[in-house]
Amino acid sequence: MGLTADERWDLVDRVAGKVVSTGVSRRGLADALGDLTVKPLTGLPVALAVLYAFWSVFCSFAGDLVTDGFMVKFFDNHWLPWLQSAWPDPNSIHYFLFVGDPLADNCFEAFGVLTSGLFVSIGVVLPAVLIFYLTMTLLEDSGYLPRLAVLADTFLHKIGLHGYAIVPTILGLGCNVPAVTATRVLETKKQRFLMMTLLAIFVPCGAQLGIMLAVIPDLVGWVILYLLIGFAVFGFLLDRLIPGENPEILIDVPPYRWPIRENVTKKLWNRTKGFLKEAIPFVWLGILIVNVLYLTGVIQALSNLLAPIFITWFGVPSETVAPLIAAFLRKDLAVAQLSTIAMTPYQMITSVVLISIYFPCVATFVIMLREGWKQLLAAIAVLAVVVLTYGGVIHGIGILLGVA
Amino acid sequence: MKTSYTIASIGAALVGAAALILGLADVLVWAGGTGPISIGILEITGEDFFRWAWGGLVVALGGLFMLAGARGLGDLDQRATAVLGAIMVWLVAGCDIFGMICGGIPAGEESEAFFNSLGGFIGGFAPPYAPAILLLPFTLIVAWLLLNQRQGA
Repeated sequence: MGLTADERWDLVDRVAGKVVSTGVSRRGLADALGDLTVKPLTGLPVALAVLYAFWSVFCSFAGDLVTDGFMVKFFDNHWLPWLQSAWPDPNSIHYFLFVGDPLADNCFEAFGVLTSGLFVSIGVVLPAVLIFYLTMTLLEDSGYLPRLAVLADTFLHKIGLHGYAIVPTILGLGCNVPAVTATRVLETKKQRFLMMTLLAIFVPCGAQLGIMLAVIPDLVGWVILYLLIGFAVFGFLLDRLIPGENPEILIDVPPYRWPIRENVTKKLWNRTKGFLKEAIPFVWLGILIVNVLYLTGVIQALSNLLAPIFITWFGVPSETVAPLIAAFLRKDLAVAQLSTIAMTPYQMITSVVLISIYFPCVATFVIMLREGWKQLLAAIAVLAVVVLTYGGVIHGIGILLGVA
Repeated sequence: MKTSYTIASIGAALVGAAALILGLADVLVWAGGTGPISIGILEITGEDFFRWAWGGLVVALGGLFMLAGARGLGDLDQRATAVLGAIMVWLVAGCDIFGMICGGIPAGEESEAFFNSLGGFIGGFAPPYAPAILLLPFTLIVAWLLLNQRQGA
């Protein structure tokens, strides 16, 4: 038995009348606060405050508490002496590969897989990534991140991206591996390529930031400034050079909510698990490969070959060439190596910026390869051009300022 | 807009003005405009760009928001602006306190032990304090007054 259209509508009205209740919605303080954090005049100072808190919590937890407070002491006073005494034959190749320098008195400078490799990945990077993902998840689940995306939308549109590109950018500050995966939130191939390339070049990961803070705390601000300028300028240029579309998006801005503990725990565990599985083995592999390259003389040969370019074009001392070459695979430790070389502050800034804008770590390399080998090759080409151009420009600025 | 002066608006204006002045003092000391300031339990050392320039700017902007919102708290947006200012000061104070907790848990670099003693940990919270921490109880009171302020009052 069929119903007529009128009868169907009557039925709908009756069902709706029984199950739907309506009321008057009143704009509350939470709504007003939500609106204020999206408007540029009030939203930008709030973004400044939130990013301050984000960075401050990151430094206090990862730096003061875990790394400096416990890990340095454990690795340098207990793990390294034990390993040096227990591992047989300090003159053997396997000792060089796994323990590193037999005279080293700290894990940071030993450069073995089981010394620097373990210390950097577990002692420095893991706490940094953990606190980073926790604060990131809290911002996401409280509803602040979409508001930050709205605020960043205007700027990011100028470089061919949109507001949600802030998510991979911020994730990249923790680790580039999940950040490259997060570029999938962008719609077009052009946007994904643009974001991936900018991430690989201009966004330093938590490991690098942690080591920069430990080794050159006074100069980190300048390094970040150069990276920010590079991000904006090369993003603008790449947007105009790369063909493709930059579609507009509508961002759903939810109301502010208290994050739910179960959701936060689940997200934190999934992200950290991903990092442990995908990034840490490659950090160890990278250290092993670089140590083998050192042993076989490849790094030295490359250093000799590229030294004239580095010294004349980038304006850095010849001693920095070997760490800069090795930085292709081990950029966080390269910063530590640089810190032991006598340089002017400007040369140090240039060297650290060069390390940052070099090709990312092996783990990111593999993740980018997964996204497509053509994109990876194109990203390498862009990277080579950017490193040469920007490195030369920074040297030029130094000459003009009389500090290079 | 009708301007109404209540305890909440006077409190927000006073605490906002104090936050603005102290936040600017943080930036000024960092910039070398004046030497480190130490008055009673208040201390501004200014040795670090991040804490004193960036953090000081956040405190100053928080104060500005509280001042801006204090006028006409009967309006929901004005009240929200003042609350937002208080939250900005809390963020900086919270970070300072979190830093004290994180710095106080491990034993010092020279010590053989991993964990600090209870006395050493508690001692880490002794004065002097940065301005944001001193402003914290006042901003909490102001926020409480603001949240209890009736719309249109």
